[in-house]
Amino acid sequence: MIRLTDLRFAYPGGGFALNVPDLAIARGERLAFHGPSGSGKTTLLHLLAGLMPPDAGRIEIDGTDIAALPDRARRAYRAARIGFVFQNFALLDHLSARENILYPCRIGAGLRLTRAVRARAQALAEACGIADKLDRKPASLSGGEQQRVALCRALVTGPGLVLADEATGNLDPATRDLILDLLFDRVREAGATLITVTHDHAILPRFDRAVDFADLTGAAP
Amino acid sequence: MNALFLAFAYLRHNWARALILVVAGALILSVPVVARMLIGATQDSLTARAKATPLILGARGSQLDLAMGALYFTDDRAEPVTMQAAEDVWDSGLAVPIPLLTAFRTGEAPIVGTSLDYVEFRGLEIAQGRMFAVLGEAVLGAGIAAQLGLGPGDTVISSPENLFDLDGVYPLELRITGVLAPSGTPDDDAVLTDIKTTWVIAGIGHGHDDVVTPDADGNVTADAALVQFNRITPDNIDSFHFHGDPDDYPVSAVLLDPHDDRSALILRGRYLDPDSPTRIVRPDAVIGELVERIFRIRSLLDAVMVIVGASALAAMGLALFLAWRLRAPEMQTAFRIGAGRLAIARLAAAEIALLLVAMLALAAGIVLVVTSRGDGLVAWLLALGR
Amino acid sequence: MITRLLAAFLILLAPLARAQDRPVVATVNYPLAYFTERLAGDAVEVLFPVPDGVDPAFWRPGIADIATIQQADLIVLNGAGYAAWTTRASLPRSRLVDTSRGLQDRLIETETVTHSHGADGAHSHAAVASHVWLDPALAMVQADAVAGGLVRAGLLAEDSAGAALDPLKADLAALDEAGRAAFAPHAGQVILASHPRYHYLARAHGVEVSALDWGAGEMPDDDQWRALSALVSDTGATLFLWEAAPPPDAAARLAELGLTGVVYPSLGWAPETGDFLSAQHDALAAIAAAGG
Repeated sequence: MIRLTDLRFAYPGGGFALNVPDLAIARGERLAFHGPSGSGKTTLLHLLAGLMPPDAGRIEIDGTDIAALPDRARRAYRAARIGFVFQNFALLDHLSARENILYPCRIGAGLRLTRAVRARAQALAEACGIADKLDRKPASLSGGEQQRVALCRALVTGPGLVLADEATGNLDPATRDLILDLLFDRVREAGATLITVTHDHAILPRFDRAVDFADLTGAAP
Repeated sequence: MNALFLAFAYLRHNWARALILVVAGALILSVPVVARMLIGATQDSLTARAKATPLILGARGSQLDLAMGALYFTDDRAEPVTMQAAEDVWDSGLAVPIPLLTAFRTGEAPIVGTSLDYVEFRGLEIAQGRMFAVLGEAVLGAGIAAQLGLGPGDTVISSPENLFDLDGVYPLELRITGVLAPSGTPDDDAVLTDIKTTWVIAGIGHGHDDVVTPDADGNVTADAALVQFNRITPDNIDSFHFHGDPDDYPVSAVLLDPHDDRSALILRGRYLDPDSPTRIVRPDAVIGELVERIFRIRSLLDAVMVIVGASALAAMGLALFLAWRLRAPEMQTAFRIGAGRLAIARLAAAEIALLLVAMLALAAGIVLVVTSRGDGLVAWLLALGR
Repeated sequence: MITRLLAAFLILLAPLARAQDRPVVATVNYPLAYFTERLAGDAVEVLFPVPDGVDPAFWRPGIADIATIQQADLIVLNGAGYAAWTTRASLPRSRLVDTSRGLQDRLIETETVTHSHGADGAHSHAAVASHVWLDPALAMVQADAVAGGLVRAGLLAEDSAGAALDPLKADLAALDEAGRAAFAPHAGQVILASHPRYHYLARAHGVEVSALDWGAGEMPDDDQWRALSALVSDTGATLFLWEAAPPPDAAARLAELGLTGVVYPSLGWAPETGDFLSAQHDALAAIAAAGG
């Protein structure tokens, strides 16, 4: 259960402000935010991930107000509980697909690379159909394959919340649907909540709920 | 471990950049060490040979030229003196005089005309073949033999030019009878022969067909414009002869091996007269002065090294920093995934540590290689002055 | 038993080993070998490598011979142009003794060769007589030089060298005395010789020598006899020195010319009987017996 209450955030220097009076997201829900560019969708995603604290208000995730957590605890929380999928995949060129998937466990605060993690990575790769490409570098993979690697990386830590920022924005429709299938299946298997940000109205019907950002904040940019 | 793993993966992926950094860093680290070491070894080598040569007798003039010419066969040799100088020392019974005539060369290698006493005095050993025994024979130093790929049975030809401006100099073919064992001294790069053979090169001795007819008084006159031999063979060696008084034959310098300290002192006393055309120098003192000069150059070099090294290190630091900046998106990803500042710092530290270890290893390798070839390099450095 | 045999064997070997360990003195002719032996005795091994039947003055050693000589502890040269190979070989100056270095102003010039090499201009080779030891006074200087060389090379103590030198010089002085006496009847006269070896002998004893160049021990041909006959009538000589014993026919023919023949070995190599001193004393006795 995620609950946002009176959430306010403004970038220093002004020009943009975010204001979310109240929003509740159920565990396991698949939610899509849509709206015009610059409306603050990604900013909200970053606040949910605890990448920065809000100016005011609460972000309760399973009863914990992550906005109130100290820096270190917020980092550990993010590493363990949140999976991130980026529009540009954000894979590391110098690591193989396998090492990209394991990367959060090598670098994330409080995480360890165990045999169980490796087994999970292998299972995810098999489920995503890239088990035979794990030794290849990202540069030699197609866009769809790269996003599958990124998907595995987001899920390898077993997060309760998966945040996807235009996760299918760079993919052709066929690949996009495939990736969404994989994403939904894996998230469901993990019992995780999925929050995505998208411009692509074509995919909105596939989500449990689609929230127009203008409706949510009531604030004009 | 994770940081090291990731750093290594990054460096391996960007191997060319890493290699350039490592090579540059290794050079910054090793060049000052190597330079200091070579200067030190050059000093030692200079001093060792000078110390092993008690006295040098030669023409009045530059002491350094005399010492450098007699010890290292350099081009800056002093004016020649005559064999009389050696004979005078011989007659004094105070020292063994070892004449040297270093005016000629074959290609780049100096031809050192001397007596067998030189070989004994320097402790040179034959590694291959035998010592020169008759006119026209020569032995090669180990270095020049390897460089030219020559050995016993081969020949070298003396260059026609010479530094005495003597008339009658013509190329003489020298037959190589042996190769000396390496000594780590300029002898390695020299062609050693009997001083009489160098007098043949100088035109003082020669051989030609015997076409003589006695006249009414019993004097015999040879035909003019005889063909001279430019190769000494068993068939023509008997026709070789020398003209003039042997005491007037030229020598570049005379190494003196005094029987004891007292003899050395007496000998030095005899050549103090500034009007005498000859003088005795103590190579130890002359080279000592040169070495002191090198010392002064070394401190200058040290300062230059520090400045250049610091600048190079700063440039390298900047390169590393810029490379790190280029990786900002990657760090951003790491941060979003949950990496702390410490983890990212550890990653950077691991990368720098790996680079440093590689630099140190390569620098140590360079220093080791230079050390193992130190003697040869020093000999080469000294030979540059020729 | 075996131990005793081995010990006996070793005792037998000992002198051999000592002989090998002895320092080596190389010499270029018999007189110098003789002086060295007289001075150093058993302390050194005298090396005189010239093969039998070869005149040491013209011997040309092979490379192996030179290598052996290069290794010697002392190399005693005659100088005065004797053994020309020494001017073309590489020998260690520190171990060389030139026994006529002190005699430069007492050497006898024989002939001069002049030749020229293109633009170099003409130049001359002065040749000198080399059998200096036949003058006992010069032989003494050579003996002095040998002794000096042995001492300098550390092969002989200075006092033992002096002790050995004195009797040798006394012997040479006695030889000089005997020579003077033997040649006294011929003072100022010309004597003849089969070979040009006797310049110093003649000068030492106040006679003049006119030399032929006959093959040693061979019967001269008719031309050579005619030349000798002419020489006898020109000079009025009555004494003829053979370098080596002549064939009996030759001795008889010489007597027919009114000449007394005496064998006076030039001693470049060892005489067949006797030594440096006794061979010369024998010859001088024969000259004395022949009288004027």
